[in-house]
Amino acid sequence: MKLARFVLFLVGLVAGGPLLAPTARAQALDRAGLIGNLCGNASAMGEAAAVLTGLAMSGDAADRAFAVPLARAVIDRKLACDEAGAVLTESGLDAVTRAPRPAAGEARTPVLSLKNRATYELADAALALRAAPEPAQRAAALKTLERRPALIPEGLLDAAAASETDAGLKADIETLAQTAALNAADPAARIRALARIADTPSRRALTKVSALTTDPAYAASPDFRAAVDDATLRIERGIAIGDVLATLYNGLSFASILFMAAIGLAIIFGLMGVINLAQGELIMIGAYVTWLVQQGLRVAAPSLLDWYLVLAIPVAFFVTAAIGIALEASLLRHLYKRPLMSLLATWAVSLFLMNLVRVVFGTQNLQFETPFYVTGGVPVIGDFIFTWNRMFAIAFAIVTLALTWGLVRRTPFGLNIRAVTQNRDMAACIGIPTRRVDMMAFGLGSGLAGLAGLALSPIYSVNPQMGQNFIIDAFMVVVLGGVGTIAGTVVAALGIGQINVLIEPLWGAVAAKVIVLLMIIAFLQWRPEGLFAVKGRRK
Amino acid sequence: MVNITRRSLLQASGLAAVGLASPLSAPAFLRNAQAQSGPVKLGCLFSSSGTMANLEGRLNYVVKMAADEINAKGGVNGRTIDVLVSDPASDWPLYAQSAKQMLQQEKVSALFGCWTSVSRKTVLPVVEQENGLLYYPLHFEGDENSKNVVYVNSPPASSVLPAVDYLMGEEGVSAKRFFMLGSDYVWPRTINKQLKGYWKSKGIPESAWKEEYVPFGFSNFQTLVNQIRAFADEGGGQPVVVLTVVGNSIPDFMREFANQGILATDIPVLGLDMVEADLEGLDTAKLVGHLNCWAYLQNAKGPANEAFLKNWAAYVKAKNVPFSGTVSIDPMVSAYDSVHLWAMAAAKAGSFDVPEVSKAFAGLTFDCPSGYKISMTGENNYVARGVFIGSVNDAQGFDILWQSKDTPKPVPFSPYG
Repeated sequence: MKLARFVLFLVGLVAGGPLLAPTARAQALDRAGLIGNLCGNASAMGEAAAVLTGLAMSGDAADRAFAVPLARAVIDRKLACDEAGAVLTESGLDAVTRAPRPAAGEARTPVLSLKNRATYELADAALALRAAPEPAQRAAALKTLERRPALIPEGLLDAAAASETDAGLKADIETLAQTAALNAADPAARIRALARIADTPSRRALTKVSALTTDPAYAASPDFRAAVDDATLRIERGIAIGDVLATLYNGLSFASILFMAAIGLAIIFGLMGVINLAQGELIMIGAYVTWLVQQGLRVAAPSLLDWYLVLAIPVAFFVTAAIGIALEASLLRHLYKRPLMSLLATWAVSLFLMNLVRVVFGTQNLQFETPFYVTGGVPVIGDFIFTWNRMFAIAFAIVTLALTWGLVRRTPFGLNIRAVTQNRDMAACIGIPTRRVDMMAFGLGSGLAGLAGLALSPIYSVNPQMGQNFIIDAFMVVVLGGVGTIAGTVVAALGIGQINVLIEPLWGAVAAKVIVLLMIIAFLQWRPEGLFAVKGRRK
Repeated sequence: MVNITRRSLLQASGLAAVGLASPLSAPAFLRNAQAQSGPVKLGCLFSSSGTMANLEGRLNYVVKMAADEINAKGGVNGRTIDVLVSDPASDWPLYAQSAKQMLQQEKVSALFGCWTSVSRKTVLPVVEQENGLLYYPLHFEGDENSKNVVYVNSPPASSVLPAVDYLMGEEGVSAKRFFMLGSDYVWPRTINKQLKGYWKSKGIPESAWKEEYVPFGFSNFQTLVNQIRAFADEGGGQPVVVLTVVGNSIPDFMREFANQGILATDIPVLGLDMVEADLEGLDTAKLVGHLNCWAYLQNAKGPANEAFLKNWAAYVKAKNVPFSGTVSIDPMVSAYDSVHLWAMAAAKAGSFDVPEVSKAFAGLTFDCPSGYKISMTGENNYVARGVFIGSVNDAQGFDILWQSKDTPKPVPFSPYG
């Protein structure tokens, strides 16, 4: 390790050495030296980052303009170090002279150590805040700085606020400057900072504020003490609200996944009494169809690529529905009188589909684009972060629920399904084509599984085995909810999701699974027909 | 039902191989009464289905590729190598059953297999009873030293501890607090036990760490990531996550981690089982900087690695292998090393008998694609490997952040747990 560092150091010397000649302007930026350090070892790179951050605060405008692309280039690995210094590979300019030249000889791209990565992100944000031409870029830089208020060099925000031309951004910078003044000398500034910090409560803020109770000013100044206590109270309240919201949100998100996996199964099981073990594989196929749509769009209409998740909805539904209908017509139709056989047959289908996909696509996880609407999250309050991919699944589940409900309750087809579910023989007697209803309902159930696959693709890894993860959970929901009722499926999914999320932080994820299973077993002992039973459905 | 299918398949393929090869074989090289003419058989115990399939599956092909290389040079002791493949389906007891079948019925000279420690533990009594030889290509928890297993990859002392040291050091992030998250089985639990012992020996208080386990194949990491954030915000120094979940739990965890807006510069994740293949299908731009530690990384410099990568890409193309030809992970290289180490030992012993081959281990060296000269001593069945610490880049690979100067001597039994 020492040797490697030494070699790196030598490389740095060779790269920067000849240019490190004494300069007449002692205070002026040694540009070549800075570039030499950027190409140097970890500690030289750390020094260079400090110089860059310093430039953001106090350097002259020309030097700052010189420095702006450097930190970003190192972070993005767009800096090629060679014998003559370094080249910014994106623009093809020499890092020192900014004259176009190609990288000479064996160019090397410096790798940021974890520690330096943070300092370079800080330097980049600081420079961008001072010198980026677009207000949007400066606002983004401010967001980065906000993440680590403790590291912001003193004076940077004041200087940035003074030179900022955008009024809104200027106010934001001043707010952040007030937050950063928690450890300033001026007591009024500190009290203002406390109020600002309490505006965005989080555990980190609480740690910071509660550390102030040991501050000498806490004992000395009643004003300061009141401010600290008030801030602590507000932050604690914010965290408590955030925790409740986070638990609800996590529970809802898990419930939406369970619901999506179970709803198709509930319809099929409820209507025909067929235990469809291939349901998980239909979910998997839905995800694969989504991927195929994405690949198709990549070729046919790249501009619509971001919307593949939406465009794939009908495709995923109809492809899996068609598979379901084919399955029913060719296989299950002949096995209605033999439920055990249908169980085995669907299991065989499940193995067949899984291996078919494995042979055709391979076992690796599929690569999905992540469009902006399923990327990242928004901090709301306390430690609650609203993640968009989960929100997508929740919204998707709600829309699916509404449509399924509408279909079953408000259409003639739904009426037929309900009639056959309640009493097959009587329904047949009054002229409902029960076989046809069976086939269509099986198609509907399969199509819903396909949609589940689509909704899960931004959350989980998509591979041939993914379906197996859901089948047990889905059965749990269906059985608990009461066979064949939509309301039961919803309530059971919400219940299991929420209970899981509540137990997990207390006893761990392994125990949560066990406890939930035990609770379901106990519940079914007491109420074997599940939460909502259709009266008189079965003998 | 499954067993019968698999067994009959295995028998059929074995018979077919023997049937094809025997008319072609040269006059028998009978070294002893038991030895048969024709190719010598090696067995693979890697799953092609179940949760480990995406990772283990590719090792079957690497073993075959290495065998092909050796066969192209005339085989071992005048006999060519024939590789038999089974599918234990990520089902731990099946590994033992497949191993037994390979050793008893197929009389394989050596087994190459297992990814998870739990599968190795189930195979262990079988190879010991049958006096077989298992080459195990994964870094693992140590604390085991069977004469029937060759531990090709590193025990914690030469993989996990250097990485944790790096994180705790000045050049890393001066880590002070540790969140251990693992799948619930022997490897994560033992590793975490040893880590806790290590931290205790450094005087780090017990309040500085937290331990959580999830079931195999777990994918809903929302609540756990919330817990990690809460743990990090308690203050008290730089937190890191030591991740020992396996299989598909890794990408699912990393996705949730990035979605909750946590960057490597906030809380770095040291993914002990994280390989290039786990990043397939992930948007790694938001994961840049997270770490792993292995005895090989795809970006390793040197002609041996260039040759290996070129051969693998060519092999994937020629044999239509259902895995990426551009991704190469440590266990692949370790499996590749294993076959070569076995062939060298067999050639040195002039025999395929396990006791003879084992005696030949002392002093073996091989130019591993990692760029290190890996070696074995007569002391134990461990192989001395180099150490790499990798950092996720935005091209779904790992940049080399740090690598050891040479190959540290493997320490089978940890003093910390």
